[in-house]
Amino acid sequence: MEAEILKLLIKFLLLVLLITFGSIAYTMLYRKWRTRRLKLIENSFANICSLYLYPKPNEKPNLIEIQRELKAVGIVPSKPRNVQYLIDLMIRTQRSILGVNYIKLKTLFTQIPPYGASASKLNNKKWYIKARGIREIYEMDQSQYTRELIRLRNNKNIYVRREAQIGIVIFLGWKSLRFLPYLKRQMTLWQQIKIVEKLNDLYPVPDLKHLRRAYNSDRPYANELIMRIIRKFHLTEDVAYIIQFIDNPKFETREAAIYCISSFLLSDEQLVEIKEKFKNINNTEQQLLLLKYIQRISSEIDLSFYKDLLYNGNDIIKLSTADILWNNGFKEEVQDYYYHQYTQNADSESISV
Amino acid sequence: MRKALVIQEDIIILKIIERLVVLNHYECKAIRSINDLDIEDQSENFDVIISDILFDGIAPLDFVFQIQEIILHKSLIIVTNMGQKKIQKEILASQNVIGFFPIPLDMDNIQKLIA
Repeated sequence: MEAEILKLLIKFLLLVLLITFGSIAYTMLYRKWRTRRLKLIENSFANICSLYLYPKPNEKPNLIEIQRELKAVGIVPSKPRNVQYLIDLMIRTQRSILGVNYIKLKTLFTQIPPYGASASKLNNKKWYIKARGIREIYEMDQSQYTRELIRLRNNKNIYVRREAQIGIVIFLGWKSLRFLPYLKRQMTLWQQIKIVEKLNDLYPVPDLKHLRRAYNSDRPYANELIMRIIRKFHLTEDVAYIIQFIDNPKFETREAAIYCISSFLLSDEQLVEIKEKFKNINNTEQQLLLLKYIQRISSEIDLSFYKDLLYNGNDIIKLSTADILWNNGFKEEVQDYYYHQYTQNADSESISV
Repeated sequence: MRKALVIQEDIIILKIIERLVVLNHYECKAIRSINDLDIEDQSENFDVIISDILFDGIAPLDFVFQIQEIILHKSLIIVTNMGQKKIQKEILASQNVIGFFPIPLDMDNIQKLIA
């Protein structure tokens, strides 16, 4: 009986071994075949691009022949993985080429398969496919889909709406400020930075008309975004927009305002405005940052402002104010305050005998 | 006929440069790595070599020195993904290098040099 069980067990293990070896052999063969197929697609695509960009003299590229060639290497709707590989190649190529050839490639990519493959991803239910589709569209500069991207700017998935917003900025540039300050959902700091950087890379000349229209937005993220744009493009004439948020009740908005204002030099009137707003800030760290900034950009020490802080501020502000006064030649004022503290303490404290 | 050698690992960039060179009336040899070179290539005196500098097992500067040592040529143009200013400065300072183009690049700049 035991021998029978043993025989059965051996047979079973042999079968498992056979299946394992079989699957390994299949994977190896499949991989080899697949690599060869991808190489074939890559080679054909490279040939197509080179002949399209530099055709023989007096010869025009034949689009029908190009489409036939791609079909022959397996770029057909029934093989989505091949199609995806071709899209990746297109993106890679477009990232590598500049100048007239970039525009030529853009035209080529609208005319060959898999045109529409990225756009069809926008209708997919899965968020990651949708986001990938958007990315492919803007990487390949297919601006004919801008309207679809605008529709996705408020999508419930953060990654989808992020990609859509970046796409809108890439295609519309400063005009995108018609939409971005009025989004239904919050925009993260990272997204704000990405938008500002994209604007700076692709549209380095600011379009003040569209920017100033966005000043009416009351959404906190929009205020922060606009302040970052003003800072990045160094729009000195619009610095008043940042100043109004210096004493904003919202911590993040104040933080952005203090960060952005620190890139500018201010006029005397603006400096007075900042000093007035200083008292309204209810966070010591932010007050300290602003105090350092005021000292850095002031040509002269405003004694009444600092003395007011020295006698009426909290301990940390007092210390920083004393530091500024001491290092700028107002030692007497600091010493006066020092003795003033003791007289105050002596008056208030009862001496125990 | 003038002779050109193109060495690029990226097949798409390789083919595009090859076409550009051929249309400018060069006899072109296009290869993907230095291993594809024949022994006869070493004695050819190429008018221009257009090459990448990023290859397995060799530092970018060493690659340039090796090319300059083993293949006879009149001028060398670098087209590469490695566009750091420091590398660019060092390579442009070496012998026969007439151009350094980091990717993304405008092919018109290469055309001006080889025309």
